[in-house]
Amino acid sequence: MTEILRTENLTKSFGGLCAVKDVSFSIEEGNIMGLIGPNGAGKTTLINLISGAFPPSSGKIVFAGRDISRCKAHTANNLGIARTFQIVRIFNKLTVRENILAGLVDRRENGPWKLMGKAMFSKYFSVIDNEKACGEADRLLDFVGIGRYRDEQAENLPYALSKRLEIARAMATQPKLLLLDEPSSGLNPAELVDQIELIRQINRQGITILIIEHVMKVIMDISHQLIVLHYGEKIAEGDPMKVYTDPQVVEAYLGDDTDAAH
Amino acid sequence: MSNKAKNWLGRVIVLAALIFLPHVIKDRYFMHIVVTAGIFMILCMSWNLLAGYAGLLNLGHAAFYGIGAYTSALLAMKLGVSPWFGLFAGGLVAAFFGFLLGIPSLRLSGPYLAITTIGFAEILRLVAVNWVSLTRGSLGLSGIPLLTPIKWGNWSFKFYLEKDYYYVVLAAAVITFFCIRRLTGSEFGVSLQALRDDEPGARSIGIKTTGYKLAVFTASAFFAGFAGALFAHFARLVSPETMALHTTMDILTMTMIGGLGTLAGPILGAVTLTFFSEWLRYLEEMIKLDIRPVVYGFMLILTILFMREGLAGILRRLTERLRGGRPVSKGERKQ
Repeated sequence: MTEILRTENLTKSFGGLCAVKDVSFSIEEGNIMGLIGPNGAGKTTLINLISGAFPPSSGKIVFAGRDISRCKAHTANNLGIARTFQIVRIFNKLTVRENILAGLVDRRENGPWKLMGKAMFSKYFSVIDNEKACGEADRLLDFVGIGRYRDEQAENLPYALSKRLEIARAMATQPKLLLLDEPSSGLNPAELVDQIELIRQINRQGITILIIEHVMKVIMDISHQLIVLHYGEKIAEGDPMKVYTDPQVVEAYLGDDTDAAH
Repeated sequence: MSNKAKNWLGRVIVLAALIFLPHVIKDRYFMHIVVTAGIFMILCMSWNLLAGYAGLLNLGHAAFYGIGAYTSALLAMKLGVSPWFGLFAGGLVAAFFGFLLGIPSLRLSGPYLAITTIGFAEILRLVAVNWVSLTRGSLGLSGIPLLTPIKWGNWSFKFYLEKDYYYVVLAAAVITFFCIRRLTGSEFGVSLQALRDDEPGARSIGIKTTGYKLAVFTASAFFAGFAGALFAHFARLVSPETMALHTTMDILTMTMIGGLGTLAGPILGAVTLTFFSEWLRYLEEMIKLDIRPVVYGFMLILTILFMREGLAGILRRLTERLRGGRPVSKGERKQ
């Protein structure tokens, strides 16, 4: 299998605080890579770096053979990296379907000025009347299981469903790599099972996934590979079962006084 | 009858009624108010594109209006350029300034953007006050030429009276409305609304937020400048006061009360408040008190507290109730 993403000595510091320190790892195409670590370990910062939310202080990110270390978020997405957020960031005042339609716009070819020109001068301009786009949007909504809410205003969705909407929106941009930041936080056990199944299905379509997760059951269940961060540093990586029993990881999670556990 | 045919029939009826209006009401004062309302309608539509759809709170919108007015007036007075050309020149020069003001907006948001835009308008107002050799300072430009007659063979149409200008403003408002409808209903418009609702979210799906902000500032300023040029050749007087904050506040109040971020809002707001403020003027003369700002402020507060979607929202709920059934959500309406 080929490698789709690689980071080399990735470092990000905010002022004096080093959130991510010298992290190197790689993800193979088609895999699900789990990213775990105690609170404040730098997991979300790592995802923010890869998705281009802010630039790294030093180090390199290579995506599909291309150095994207300095790419902005929108460029990273155009290249094929989509993401969800820890706290959902959907477009509240748009309808559920319009949220997806915004993601479906082909932005690789169309910049804002070109789209403005198209809006003014093309024969058909309305996104709502575009049957092809709406059909595609509805297919995605059905795929994540919220098809019947398509005409609701997005802010009216219950939390669990808005997380699904966010995943569908990310999928609409046709990514090669999907970054999921705690997709199961705030879900009840039944919703959790559905969510795991959904992530598996996305992966089966050939989309590589990097997932941050706190629920151990989820992460052990679905990831092919695991990477553990602690105070911004990578302390373990590899096969989930092996990482799980790694003494350094246990120490990071439970503290170093192992005797106290007895 | 199919829905499409019904839509077209509705449009034709409304347009016919609007075309016949000056033949029914011959009062010149009334037509003057209607033309003023029409100009404000264009202004409100352009501001709504920025503030309502893209979420960029521009409090210097009057500057674009003033730039359009001064450009067209000066071109006609100093260089003898046709006012018809001036209408577009006014829009284009305003669009250029819109692009310039868009640049700081890339780094600013919310109250910081609002304050910057107020500063922008204030600077331009002061330039107009102090550049006496060009603008005649606070006296303003007067005696701006009328729109030149349109000739077609033997037939000609002159622009003297309010009712003549009424047709120009009507055409301008209709064109602006359809342009704004295209801009907001398209992929471009959905992207604008996405960045309004959540910027990081918008970026994460590939929306180049900086480019969209510049584009929408430019487009919005174009229509505001266009309205300004119309105003210059209608009122035949432009003063630096045109660019003062109170003009922007009028635009804001009209749009908010009409319904921010809706297509019909600016139209409803501009018409309602232009007529309402004429009525208030009567009242002010009677009681010898300047109560307009107080009334406007109070109405604005009520709108924000109790009817966020403004008059457009009320109208929508009313029509839905008349059609019967439960109130429908925003998206279903579009089916």
